[in-house]
Amino acid sequence: MDIRKVAVIGSGMMGSGIAAQVANAGVPVVLMDIVPEGAESRNALAEGAVARLLKQDPAPFMHKHNARLVEPANLEDDLEKLGDCDWIVEAVLEDLAVKYTVYHKINLFIKPGAAVTSNTSTIPLAKLLDGMDDAFAARFFITHFFNPPRYLRLLEIVSGPRTDPETLGAVSRFCDVRLGKTVIACNDTPGFLANRIGGYWIQTAINGAMDLGLTVEEADAVGGRPMGVPRTGIFGLMDLVGIDLMPQVAASMIASLPADDPYVRDFREHDLVRRMIETGHTGRKGKGGFYRLNRESGEKVKESIDLATGDYAPSRRSELESARAGAKDLRALTEHPDRGGQWAWRVLSNVIGYSAALVPEIADSVADVDAAMRLGYAWKRGPFELADRLGPAYVAGRLRDEGRDVPALLDRVGDGTFYRVADGRLQVFGADGVYRPVERPDGVLLLEDIKRAAEPIERNGSASLWDIGDGVACFEVHTRMNALDPDVVTLLQKSLKLVEKEFKALVLYNEGANFSVGANLGLALFAANVGVWPMIEGMLENGQKAMKAMKYAAFPVVAAPSGMALGGGCELLLHAAAVQAHAETYAGLVEAGVGVLPGWGGCKEMLVRHTLDEKRPNGPLPPVAKAFEQISMAAVAKSAQEARDMHILRESDGITMNRDRLLYEAKRKALSLSDGYEKPEAVDLNLPGANGKAALDLAVEGFALQGLALPHDRVVAGEIATVLTGGDTDVTETVSEDRLFALERQSFMTLLKTEPTLARIEHMLDTGKPLRN
Amino acid sequence: MPVYTAPLDDMRFVLNDVLGYESAVAGLEGYGEATPDLVDAILDEAAKFCENELLPLNLPGDAEGCTYENGVVHTPEGFKEAYTLYAEGGWMGLTCDPEYGGQGLPKSIGFAIEEMICSANMAFGMYPGLSHGAYNAIEKWAGDGLKDLYLPKLASGAWAGTMCLTEPQCGTDLGLIRTKAVPQADGSHAITGTKIFISAGEHDLTGNIVHLVLARLPDAPPGIRGISLFVVPKFLPKAENGGWTAGARNGVRCGAIEHKMGIRASATCVMNFDDAAGWLVGAPHKGMRAMFSMMNAARLGVGMQGLGLAEVAHQNAVAYAKDRAQGRALSGAKYPDAPADPIIVHPDVRRMLLRQRAMTEGARALAYWTGMQIDIAERHEDEAVRRAAEDFVAVITPVVKALFTDHGFEAANLAVQTYGGHGYIHEHGIEQFVRDARITQLYEGTNGIQALDLIGRKMPEGGGRLLRRFFHPVQEFLFAHSADPQMKEFCRPLMAAFGQLQQVTLLLAQKGLADPEESAAAASEYLRFFGLVAVGWMWARIAKAVLEKAGDDPAGFHAAKLDVARFYMKKVLPETASLGLSIQAGKKPLMAMADSAF
Ligand SMILES: Cc1cc2nc3c(=O)[nH]c(=O)nc-3n(C[C@H](O)[C@H](O)[C@H](O)COP(=O)(O)OP(=O)(O)OC[C@H]3O[C@@H](n4cnc5c(N)ncnc54)[C@H](O)[C@@H]3O)c2cc1C
Repeated sequence: MDIRKVAVIGSGMMGSGIAAQVANAGVPVVLMDIVPEGAESRNALAEGAVARLLKQDPAPFMHKHNARLVEPANLEDDLEKLGDCDWIVEAVLEDLAVKYTVYHKINLFIKPGAAVTSNTSTIPLAKLLDGMDDAFAARFFITHFFNPPRYLRLLEIVSGPRTDPETLGAVSRFCDVRLGKTVIACNDTPGFLANRIGGYWIQTAINGAMDLGLTVEEADAVGGRPMGVPRTGIFGLMDLVGIDLMPQVAASMIASLPADDPYVRDFREHDLVRRMIETGHTGRKGKGGFYRLNRESGEKVKESIDLATGDYAPSRRSELESARAGAKDLRALTEHPDRGGQWAWRVLSNVIGYSAALVPEIADSVADVDAAMRLGYAWKRGPFELADRLGPAYVAGRLRDEGRDVPALLDRVGDGTFYRVADGRLQVFGADGVYRPVERPDGVLLLEDIKRAAEPIERNGSASLWDIGDGVACFEVHTRMNALDPDVVTLLQKSLKLVEKEFKALVLYNEGANFSVGANLGLALFAANVGVWPMIEGMLENGQKAMKAMKYAAFPVVAAPSGMALGGGCELLLHAAAVQAHAETYAGLVEAGVGVLPGWGGCKEMLVRHTLDEKRPNGPLPPVAKAFEQISMAAVAKSAQEARDMHILRESDGITMNRDRLLYEAKRKALSLSDGYEKPEAVDLNLPGANGKAALDLAVEGFALQGLALPHDRVVAGEIATVLTGGDTDVTETVSEDRLFALERQSFMTLLKTEPTLARIEHMLDTGKPLRN
Repeated sequence: MPVYTAPLDDMRFVLNDVLGYESAVAGLEGYGEATPDLVDAILDEAAKFCENELLPLNLPGDAEGCTYENGVVHTPEGFKEAYTLYAEGGWMGLTCDPEYGGQGLPKSIGFAIEEMICSANMAFGMYPGLSHGAYNAIEKWAGDGLKDLYLPKLASGAWAGTMCLTEPQCGTDLGLIRTKAVPQADGSHAITGTKIFISAGEHDLTGNIVHLVLARLPDAPPGIRGISLFVVPKFLPKAENGGWTAGARNGVRCGAIEHKMGIRASATCVMNFDDAAGWLVGAPHKGMRAMFSMMNAARLGVGMQGLGLAEVAHQNAVAYAKDRAQGRALSGAKYPDAPADPIIVHPDVRRMLLRQRAMTEGARALAYWTGMQIDIAERHEDEAVRRAAEDFVAVITPVVKALFTDHGFEAANLAVQTYGGHGYIHEHGIEQFVRDARITQLYEGTNGIQALDLIGRKMPEGGGRLLRRFFHPVQEFLFAHSADPQMKEFCRPLMAAFGQLQQVTLLLAQKGLADPEESAAAASEYLRFFGLVAVGWMWARIAKAVLEKAGDDPAGFHAAKLDVARFYMKKVLPETASLGLSIQAGKKPLMAMADSAF
């Protein structure tokens, strides 16, 4: 079965978010809700939801046009619309009676073979199917999304004995390939995987912090970096997801779990949390949560709540020695005698113990549990990966010494670890005591796996070149935040020569959180401060040479970004023969934000892109104006779809929804291009020169008068205008790419020598935010 | 007896012709009166005081030393009278805030005067020097009550000050401080502990002594983050006739004084605090921040001690070299009628004299430039300019401290060498310079610690922003003048050394990120490299100033400047080449050997 149209019932936060993601996949979706009393429009709820989706930040839609694919409807007039839907997702209230009513209502209208799933997070499948006939039960199961559905990759699927495998397979595949989710099969137990362990973790972490007298900042300092559970720390995460969620999840878990389950046994109601919810301190969406920004004094002051008194006071950095001592060594952290160390052990031992006791009851594989916690709760490592870091035998030994239960699974793994690498493959320890290779679905290719089994063809401190099979090589950047430094450029140049001789194609790809945040600003700033201008200009020129060599290589280079591709990272995309982008790619030429301009051909390529755009108006100025607007505003696409709008991606470039499938599809694209590949023709441009620059300057002047451009914005925009209009030229002449490279270099160096630019760079490095000067 | 004539001509030349003092400082808010004429007059007066009052006390003061008796310390004969003259002459409050009875003159003038005092009598200079440190810390960090009480007393010189950091177990590593401060019901604190090596801890010059003491509060976090600063007077201030006088004795006593290598007329005391009443300066546990503002000024002050000693040592060496006749010039006798030529004809003697002079005069320009930047940092109307000046001072402070004091010691040693065996004899006063100079390399953070400050703190700050305030002006200077044919001989060598400094700076910044031991291993050499280039920049500016004035030079002052500038470029600056090689060798030659193999 192919899923060509979807219906979502229930237009609340989850339902509308799921509908938006279906639309993001280019699939039409009917969004239904009840007819509210007294409303003017009978679709008021769904219509309101779409309007809300368009305003939300971070945006649920990858492109605002995707909203057109969402059709608002209601459950009274529009039930026939279900007739051509292949998949119906129910996301209504967590109330069994309400759900039954919906099921009975829709059952009459759905087409044969269509799947029906519930997005319940708390009700067991068996209960939902209680009294439903076999035909319904065959097509019905649980698809549990996490909020927000566009951004959280986890999807828990719970099927039952009566589920039809084909229907299940079709929905799973759709969610995986089209919606980009990592689908994890769970058993039909309360809270499934992530909320069961995550909810327990929240409880044990908060109880522990209160018992041991940790401050909010201290708990997050220990839980954040050293434990990575998650990076924001527990309280930071609670503020993010909403504190009111806590008692809701807890109530349903306690109602469905046996009294001797640690979840129930350790449960405590905290006055503080109750009061916070009552007074609207539910986190970022409310009046603040465990943290808040106090603006009373006119300045933004970050404050934290006192867990004992509930009063807010300016946040104080944690001084806990354990967080420092345990920054790199988890075991040292849990052995540290201060309250941070004690808390870390309490949380980790409880969570690892609880998780180990639940496998195989809740899931077949510990790898599924780990993935669920990483993707659903933003942990850096799942409980079993954490156990491996500590050493399972060590954890078991300490539990035993403390007279606590040692779960059978922990006992069974003994001196081993839950994960190991054998014959270059990752294996995972099964509940039956046997190690099995971690299997990847068809169409998933991970560099991580390749790296386990092979040595790089070339490598330096900043980048590596890998053989990914079938004559394709992969260039991987692996610096901090994948910033580009001279070593990256050197290896890229070397790799291009090597690939020409020994491979058919090259893919630019890595598995960091970001493809690349651009040039290493710290290095650039330091070099500028010391005044080594010739060296900096040399670095610029070298980068340009590498970009040019890449663009005109005799083989196709396919860039496969995910996450941020900013500045130099974006310029890599622009010079590649093709791009296969993860849907969640955030690309842009952001150099102006730090007071410089794209110096590795970014200005040049945007000019080429906008010039080659068939839909553009005639004359030399429109493409220049387009590129100017984009570059001087440091515009960033908030998705791959938006990047296409901005001409950073071409129509022919591909978008992959599932992160794990990106390399596979990029490689396939590279291979398809490599047959009979012809390198692009050089483009000579006719640029308007001084006349054009005058026009652009005038526009900037206008912005400045409106207070939209700051003093240094004007300086930066002026240099960008100089480059984009071709410098000293006019329309009758042609400007070569090399000439544009030279103009970029010249203007870049001019800007880098100004005090406000250096202040911008320093501020960005210091705070991560642009300086407005 | 050593001689000393304050180098007023050079001071004026540096301030007015090289550094453009008037346009830079006289335009600053509140400094309008600091015209060249007024500055001249002040320098003249200071020179007289130093030459006539302080210099004669230097050698006898060293011979007599301080004496200790039952908790009381006597300074050498004549010191009290000289101090009284100093205070009454208004010298103490010269650069202090008029609101507290000071004269509100620019700090940069203070630099020139400090130099003269240290040339004439460094041990004497310790007493007002520490009072200044105390004044700065209270002015910057204390509340109004403490300020109103103590600042007028310190500015007038009626009371003196100290800095009490060091304890037996804690010198460089102030995180080890044990002295305790227990809060009292009346808002004061009871301070208990032992401080050692406290300069001016006890003496007979003033009616009261104001100790600034680092101590730990009961709830202090461990280590350096748990230190607070307190003001602890020797006598508790008593309100009287609308002012303050020294009242009851506080629980702080001098237990002994040290017998030591140099600055013997400066009392170096063991101070015992026994439930002494103290008042918190600044925020609890933030004592290091307050201490640093005092220490930065004090570090520059110690740099001036090095400079002052180098100057006086050089003056005496020159006098001696012109007078002492031994051997013949290799190019043929210069004084055929005399039995021998003066030793100044010998290349090796000239090498010593020029080494002293080239560094001293270049360092003077750098010192005054730094002083001017302090004034700009405090008073300039444009915030960006203030910040840039502050950055420059921050980065140059460790360089001034370590480079100048190393030079002070070297110059003093060269003076002894010039004197031959006579330099080793006490009554000539030359060996005293060596002994006095030696401490300047140790206190206020040893010179090794200055180098670590430069490379470990100042270098990475703001992604190299502090460095920019040095590197960019030097580069701009070179850019503007290297094409000038007359400047070529000065710009070329400077450009080469500067280029190499840029390279090693990048190298160390990168290496230091990955392995701090790598940069620490090069720290002292890097500081010297930096300092040599900084002084080279000053020499290039001096040469430029001379060339602009070409013509009128009856005394040969300008011609000599160019000769010394050439000497610096050709014979001093090239040291950077060897430093560069040594820096590039990395940490391995230092760290390879096992501790046990030593
Ligand atoms: C005459 C005199 C007057 C003084 N006046 C005062 C005063 O008024 N007030 C006051 O508080 N103190 C005063 N001092 C103390 C002086 O500041 C200290 O002696 C100085 O800070 C060094 O401390 P230390 O002697 O304990 O040496 P240590 O700290 O023991 O150092 C010994 C050696 O090890 C090196 N070293 C130490 N740590 C490091 C490191 N982390 N990295 C590299 N090298 C290191 C040092 O550079 C030095 O070479 C005075 C000392 C003297 C001798």
